[in-house]
Amino acid sequence: MTTALADIAEFRLLLEEELGLRVRADDLDRPLDDFPAWDSVLLLRLVTVVEDVVGRRVAVADVLQARTFRQMYEVVAGP
Amino acid sequence: MTATTNHSTRDPAAGWHDPEALSALRALHRAGRLPAEYGSVRSLLSRMPAADLPAAGQLLARLDPKEVCRHAEVPVVTVTVTGHSTVAPLVAPLTAELARHGLLLEAKVSPYGAYLQDLMRPAAAGEEQPQLTLCLLDAHTVFDDVTVPWRAEDVEAAARAGLALLTGAVRTHQEAGRGLLVLNTVPLHRRHTHQLVDLRSRARLGAVWREFNSGLLSLAAQYPGVVTVDLDPLVAEGVVACEPRAAQYARARLSDALLAAYAREAAHVVRARLGRTRKCLVLDLDGTLWGGVLGEAGPGGIELGAGLRGEAFQEFQRTVRQLGAQGVLLAVSSKNDAELAGTTLRTHPGMVLREDDFVRVNANWKAKHDNLRDIADRLGLGLDSFVFVDDSTFECGLVGEQLPEVAVVRVDEEPALHPAALLADGWFDLFELTEADLERAGRYRTEARRQEFREDVGSYEDYLDGLGLEVDLRPPDESEIARVSQLTLRTNQFHLATERLQAAQVSAQMERPGHHVLAVRARDRFGDHGLVGALFLRRDGEVLRIDNFVLSCRVFARGIESACVAAVLRFARDTGASAVTGRCLPSPRNAAFASFYADHGFAPVGTDPDDPEAVFFRHELTGIAPAPAHLRLHAAFGPFDGDPT
Repeated sequence: MTTALADIAEFRLLLEEELGLRVRADDLDRPLDDFPAWDSVLLLRLVTVVEDVVGRRVAVADVLQARTFRQMYEVVAGP
Repeated sequence: MTATTNHSTRDPAAGWHDPEALSALRALHRAGRLPAEYGSVRSLLSRMPAADLPAAGQLLARLDPKEVCRHAEVPVVTVTVTGHSTVAPLVAPLTAELARHGLLLEAKVSPYGAYLQDLMRPAAAGEEQPQLTLCLLDAHTVFDDVTVPWRAEDVEAAARAGLALLTGAVRTHQEAGRGLLVLNTVPLHRRHTHQLVDLRSRARLGAVWREFNSGLLSLAAQYPGVVTVDLDPLVAEGVVACEPRAAQYARARLSDALLAAYAREAAHVVRARLGRTRKCLVLDLDGTLWGGVLGEAGPGGIELGAGLRGEAFQEFQRTVRQLGAQGVLLAVSSKNDAELAGTTLRTHPGMVLREDDFVRVNANWKAKHDNLRDIADRLGLGLDSFVFVDDSTFECGLVGEQLPEVAVVRVDEEPALHPAALLADGWFDLFELTEADLERAGRYRTEARRQEFREDVGSYEDYLDGLGLEVDLRPPDESEIARVSQLTLRTNQFHLATERLQAAQVSAQMERPGHHVLAVRARDRFGDHGLVGALFLRRDGEVLRIDNFVLSCRVFARGIESACVAAVLRFARDTGASAVTGRCLPSPRNAAFASFYADHGFAPVGTDPDDPEAVFFRHELTGIAPAPAHLRLHAAFGPFDGDPT
């Protein structure tokens, strides 16, 4: 189990371990539309998992509007 | 493959649920070996804490079923998932739950809100039917048609209209023969009830809501192809029904937790659909059916009946008994002294279950997996129909490892939690209970005892002598005619002049003058075999003809057939006949009994002019062999024999 979300590498690990989704470091800024395997169901699952890991609430509407994995990470990692 | 290696060398005593199982699965996924190693997934999941299953489902759901099938022979289950809202989040938990049973999900997920269309559209030509359609309903199935401001009456109208629409769709689906359909009741949320501020209206809303759910449950009574999963008991266990943000932003209106619980129920519906319902529940004794160690504390010292924990163990026994009353075969596998365990089961005042409730009690010091194999052999059942319950993590682990096909339920040191642990999975779920289910335990129990007795005695003669066999030969009463007909329809081996008779034909024969239909009933010290055979006799001048003789294979080789023939011969002699004939019509299946009449003092006298294949045998009633001495036969041939009965 991932225990924290210290950096974006941890986020990538979480995507792979929890969602079975492999995202390379240089794919983080590509539009999500480029990932046919990505969908909103995975995103809901991601929110559940991240909230478990970081122990606080994630702004779901903001995550839903993220265009790249990096933007998504920025929302879930918080300020 | 580190995962499975770790697994097989792990000390089973280290714990039943394996917190590392998910890591092992992830390692397989990382290495890209999940499709190739799919065969090991089932045992990983069987030990995975329930909380980790959705995560496992996420990984497994990403696999291509075709690729998995290239590597392993896994039964594929095709499921259409449809519903009122976003239903895709069900796929991952359902994948995991089916994988727990060694099944591979091939899901077809319908677009948002397409359920009515899915249920009502005609099947396209050549389209393959899914084995199962899951139609997920949620509160918005009703509330979509309610506008603000609303009153309880508005919800009532919307619920009625919604139910009528759904009923029509279900009817169309079922009449088109589109297969098994699973519906669910819909939880009522506080965010709806508490929008009504007056308590009377709020109560009214509650009543209206239950009517809607009650209508959904009634559909299952109306259509044999419909199952309605009641979500109320799942929510009552503390599962959150809805996650407001997922509901609001993604129209996913049943929470992940509720979908996971629902997926478990749905997987058992699939098991039942595939005929994989489990049949036998094997229980440990110490720590499972009672508290304490019998061998140390003695029958007076175990926790059972008296005291708080003693009552809790009794409550668990009531749960087990309830299952047993519905055809689940109960057995014991316990490391205990056989005699002490037997006495305790028989005589302990706190026992709710009794020795008689078990088809088999294996109390000994052998390994439990060997005992489970032994019980399976004796009952003639596969281990994949077994559920094993024990409080010892060591025993659970060992059985899980040695016999992965057995479902293992570990109960812990808190007996009040035993019933919930046993019922956490619907291992014994089936669509409908039949008479045969209800009688199963009795039949297996007596057969198991008979077999045990046979192993204990030296020779087959000793076995027969000890059986205390009693045979009744008398005309069937009204209620037994269907069974006589069934015997002629189904029996192939000991069926000397094979003739299939419907119940009405049996009745007609009984009423014809000079004809006797005799039912053979048998019982022994272990139990009642019931109606196991029939003789069809006909008076023809001075000759008594045995037109046909049928006997169930369950009671072969116990002398019953010889005793019946001896009784017929004596009856013929006592009622003035000069001879008895027997008719034998060879069939592909009765060859083993072709010499039956010859072996019993009859001589072949030619073929039947009406059917040259049939051979007649004749007994001149001189030197009638006595009936076998090991059984007692009571004969009453009916009104023509002068017998008062």
